[in-house]
Amino acid sequence: MTIEEIKELLRVFNESGVAELEVTRGDKSLRVRRSPAAQDILAPAGPAPVMTLPQMMMPVPAAPAPPPPAEAPVRSAPAPAADDKTLLVKSPIVGTFYEAPSPGSPPFVKAGDPVEPGQVLCIIESMKLMNEIEAEVAGTLVARLVENGRPVEYGEALFSIRPR
Amino acid sequence: MALQLDLVRSELPGWPVHWHERVDSTMNVAAKLAAAGCPHMTAVGADEQTAGIGRHGHRWHSEPEAGLYISVVLRAGDASQPALMLALGLAVQQAIERTCGVAVDLRWPNDALCSGRKCAGVLAHLHDTAVIAGIGINVNHGDFPPELREEATSLRISSGRAVSRELLLIAVLEELDAVVRRLAEDGPAEILRSFARASSYVSGKRVVVMQDGETLRGVTAGLDAKGFLKLREDSGRETLILAGGVRPEGPR
Repeated sequence: MTIEEIKELLRVFNESGVAELEVTRGDKSLRVRRSPAAQDILAPAGPAPVMTLPQMMMPVPAAPAPPPPAEAPVRSAPAPAADDKTLLVKSPIVGTFYEAPSPGSPPFVKAGDPVEPGQVLCIIESMKLMNEIEAEVAGTLVARLVENGRPVEYGEALFSIRPR
Repeated sequence: MALQLDLVRSELPGWPVHWHERVDSTMNVAAKLAAAGCPHMTAVGADEQTAGIGRHGHRWHSEPEAGLYISVVLRAGDASQPALMLALGLAVQQAIERTCGVAVDLRWPNDALCSGRKCAGVLAHLHDTAVIAGIGINVNHGDFPPELREEATSLRISSGRAVSRELLLIAVLEELDAVVRRLAEDGPAEILRSFARASSYVSGKRVVVMQDGETLRGVTAGLDAKGFLKLREDSGRETLILAGGVRPEGPR
């Protein structure tokens, strides 16, 4: 995970209004959580307050420098969305993630958008096979978890959706 | 001249072929047929596409009656992907070589090239469990718009004579059917071996690839077990190419 990716995650997180987000890529994971105070500040309508990073960010080393003892809890499957009420949309294939139907056109969806079942969220391209990924539930798109143009693995989380 | 569908029907009796004078894109028509449950190998073609689809919203230059523009609905099962994408290239190569005798190279995963220029392209969309394969072949184009002239060629330019679109369509459908059967019966490994023999791009080719926001330069180093292209970058890193956009390095 590069600093650019972390910045992008924070931007998406900031726009989303979700309370907590955990992203795992390979052996690295990052958890971002709003402090209760920050949520209180967020609650009133009006200009969004600017939050400082230390309030929000709590890196979680997935593989600590000293190897964990064998009986340590295994961080195997990607952590479920930190917010219990959100669902993750995962990639069914290995390929490249595209947020828009063509370069330069607006993305299919952005954080905060309402989504309906069957609505196209993104395209995963694998050897020129275009796979349109659709929402399976009605809800609100909380966050995009992958950058446009990035390779994704089978089962990698692409979006989080809060069902309604 | 409009395509003579009678000739195709007489050679391929019973084959579900839907031909149109003009459509926006054969991909859209085929998607509707697939959603309605049309059979495996249903083909949709048009003499003219007003909005032919290329990769990432690029248009496929679809000069009326000069090319062969078809979409074929394949119900080959999930297990066949992604080797199916390589199989589509093999079918197009076989069909062109058989119909007009010009040598065709394949640029991973499935562009067909004559003398280094693209004469046919394949693009596929997944709809539920059906793969819709869009195939565009430049057949009798005499020339191309300036922005495509360096990159594109036609079978007529390459072979020096006009080519029958009817015979080419028959060959494409027969070769598609044959290669999809081979994939089902012999498995993906056999398709990968055939592709490696049929393409100069699989190993030892200096290429440039755009992936993950980077321009990657290096030498191709074979296919992985699924059929993705391995690239040994000049930095020494080995990267798997997932999508496409592979180009030879430097001037032609």
